[in-house]
Amino acid sequence: MSMSINMKIISVILAAILTGAAAFGEETKDQTLNIAFISYANPQQVAYDSEAILKYLEPRLGIPVKGFITLDYGSSIEAMRSDKADLAFVDPLAFMMAHEQIGAVPLLLEVYQNGPSYHASVWVRRDGSAAKLEDLKGKTIAYADQVDMSGHLLPRNVFNRAGLLRGNRPEGNFFKQVYFAGGDEQAIRAVLNGFVEAAGISQYAYLLLRPEERDLVMPIANSIESPSHLIMARKGLPEEVREKLKDALLALDWKKPEDKVILDKLYGVRGFSAASLSDFSEVAKIAARHGFVKNPDLFSE
Amino acid sequence: MILSLKTLRKYEIHSFRGRWLIQFFRVSAVLLIYSFQGGGPALAHIIPKENLHPVTEAYRRSVFVLNLNPIAWDVVHRDAKTIAGYRSSIGFGEKKALGENYDARAVFRELTRDVSAICLHHLSNAVALFEEPEQAIEEVKKAQAVWMAFSEFLQKTDPDGYFRLGQSWLGMANALGSRGLLGIGAVEADREGFNRAAKGVIDYLESNFGKNYEPPKNGKLAPFPVNSPTYKPKARFALRLPPGNNINKQIPRPRQILNMASRGVDESDTPLIAVGDMAFDSAFIYGEPMRSIGMSCNSCHNKSITNPNFFIPGLSQREGGMDVSNSFFAPHANNGHFDPIDIPDLRGIRFTAPYGRNGRFASLREFARNVIVNEFNGPEPEPVILDGLVAYMNEFDFLPNRYLEKDGRLANETTPEARLGEKLFNKPFSQMGGMSCASCHIPSANFVDHKRHDIGSIEGAGSTGKDGALDTPTLLGILWSPPYFHDGSQPTLRSVVNWFDQTYRLNLKTGEIENLTAYLETVGGGTDPYEDTPYYLDAEMEEFYFFISAYEFLAEKNLLNAIDITFQTIALEIRNHKWELQDLQYLPVMEKMADVMDEAHAANQSGNFEQVREKVAEYRALYAENKEVLK
Repeated sequence: MSMSINMKIISVILAAILTGAAAFGEETKDQTLNIAFISYANPQQVAYDSEAILKYLEPRLGIPVKGFITLDYGSSIEAMRSDKADLAFVDPLAFMMAHEQIGAVPLLLEVYQNGPSYHASVWVRRDGSAAKLEDLKGKTIAYADQVDMSGHLLPRNVFNRAGLLRGNRPEGNFFKQVYFAGGDEQAIRAVLNGFVEAAGISQYAYLLLRPEERDLVMPIANSIESPSHLIMARKGLPEEVREKLKDALLALDWKKPEDKVILDKLYGVRGFSAASLSDFSEVAKIAARHGFVKNPDLFSE
Repeated sequence: MILSLKTLRKYEIHSFRGRWLIQFFRVSAVLLIYSFQGGGPALAHIIPKENLHPVTEAYRRSVFVLNLNPIAWDVVHRDAKTIAGYRSSIGFGEKKALGENYDARAVFRELTRDVSAICLHHLSNAVALFEEPEQAIEEVKKAQAVWMAFSEFLQKTDPDGYFRLGQSWLGMANALGSRGLLGIGAVEADREGFNRAAKGVIDYLESNFGKNYEPPKNGKLAPFPVNSPTYKPKARFALRLPPGNNINKQIPRPRQILNMASRGVDESDTPLIAVGDMAFDSAFIYGEPMRSIGMSCNSCHNKSITNPNFFIPGLSQREGGMDVSNSFFAPHANNGHFDPIDIPDLRGIRFTAPYGRNGRFASLREFARNVIVNEFNGPEPEPVILDGLVAYMNEFDFLPNRYLEKDGRLANETTPEARLGEKLFNKPFSQMGGMSCASCHIPSANFVDHKRHDIGSIEGAGSTGKDGALDTPTLLGILWSPPYFHDGSQPTLRSVVNWFDQTYRLNLKTGEIENLTAYLETVGGGTDPYEDTPYYLDAEMEEFYFFISAYEFLAEKNLLNAIDITFQTIALEIRNHKWELQDLQYLPVMEKMADVMDEAHAANQSGNFEQVREKVAEYRALYAENKEVLK
């Protein structure tokens, strides 16, 4: 709640102090590299934290580097469509749509603990009655949001692959009720509190619970691996700049204290890994099944 | 985080669509990394602060404090002001302040009515704004955040109602549909479904906590849904600390110096000290609510040193202290008045008798028993537990200080200011009855005199009362344990010097005050007061291994209860610490080790001692095999 108020306040302040979108756009075209940082909860914090990477990149690229905050992926894509963003931090679904619609290029995948990928899990209460997917027949499940790779499409695909869910309706002929809880924390808490039997969300959702709550839930199935969140580049961004960017970001080493400070502030990633279109071949098929991607062959091997 | 103007200038917030979807993955990643690095706010054994709506936080804290005896009215009135302020901010108009109301039941009734009204206000707004989904969603989120003020009480007392309402909140989120991404994946909103779900919550709130709400005449003050058909009047619910508490330990950890370790003693040869170390970290030597909360000696005396962050609203006056004769932790021993004390540093405690801020206990053993039984509601401890605690605490050494000679005089390499301060420290003052600072804080006796003195720092029970005398505290290591005085009322060593100067009219010059402060800082210093790493899981695991080194000793003496406590403590500690793993792929190893301790506990309780031995051996083998990665 307070977050939303803060965002409004900041929007007003920023509107007053910025010179306007036109000037912003011209700067982009001329010489400045503009990066869209996504904020999920606290834009002030993201703004503050991203200073570190901006300072790191500027001398290595030899051009001014500026950042701005978006509150959703649609805004990032629209900014890139209108040349206001040269780079954007997005999730795989947003990237695939951006690639298909505006030709955005995959630059670097974020690296987490297990590498540049993650998966969704089907979570249940450890002391609940469900120990396998079949046990959820006639029960309730919560997803994070309709438009969410790990919070809907991937876990739903788990049931598709198991042959338990068919058709276009989220419930299919399997669930009694499907809820879109509004976020991963809401969904995992719905399981924890017993409001639903299961939640289909990210493998890391349990980390949103308090430590003493985490052992009360457990995953009973995992989705296929998805490429991690990534940095995508505007289609027209010069090759030379792209390569310099890659070199600079790939050089960041989590084990070096000075680099770790930067990475910790950059969504807490452990580093970056080169991205290619083919990384998305499997998840593109899933996104296509739900109409988010029209031509999954764009991402084929 | 407040953005500086410089920072703000660099950013523009774009929200072309303003969707309410809050992706979590990156948040998770951040939490994950914080768990690894050990220095962030989301460390697992370090309990992160709950992100509550200010109204919810204020209400929950008020409920906790209103059930204390005595009630910390300053806390309640501050929270009441927060709730009233929010109420006004959303258009309810001004309400008479509760600042002069000292009727707990009446205050609770008003706060409950207000919180319910605020939640209903946001829900009604959401219904009215349905055609503006983004605004409606914001209102639902606010309503749900305020609803959390009541929900923890309903979970146990009306589980069926709690379940129904949980589904109502999910139903509302669902019914608001989705605008999709770039126009794809949109789902139409369902007004009827939304209104139906909202009505479930509205009806519940109005019938239980509406404008005519009256709390039950007897018993605890808590929002019990007595008008719900599924209300369970005999239900019990777990005791929780109020929002704003901080029982987290310090990171980096204070450096603990055990005398035995300095002498290179093999730990496996000291089973009684191992029992004491275990008991010092154990919630199981205490009663409720300590066990449920998971607090131990180590919570306040982190690695034997003052925990400067410790704070419980209503029980603490300031950080690093608490009223230890209160109605929450041990109602039977409540003294009925608010007398918080600063948590003492236990370094060198074997040299600083008597014990307790007022020196009411001659021995450490008496003191420890009183803490367990009367301050924190524990059962009468077994002799081996008390013996162990005393043996362990007797190992606590002061920090080494190269600026001090063995007889307490300053060494040659100290600063001129400190040396001038030393002279002043030893100078008798007629205003102090011809005594000097050193008269009580005897340098050659670890800066204590083992006596009690009324220096005027405590308000007695009456003008002729003799209850203002306090034990002389040591000055060794005090630089690292602010604040000062028995109640923590002096934030710095300089303020302590100022207090003496003003109270005893010493007429010290500014330079003299600085010199005396420099002296105290030198005496109170010491080398390396903190460990040089934020990672300490490996050290904790090694310590748990030390705990279990006492098993053979305890088994030989047939001390089954102490063995039980040992297994339970290790299992709980491992589960608390496992989130500190830098590499979470080893979580299963730690879970297995905790499970083995549970199994050993069960076997011990059922008298299957052969299995107990096997489980202890299994635990030791698991540790030996994995100790290099459990960090």
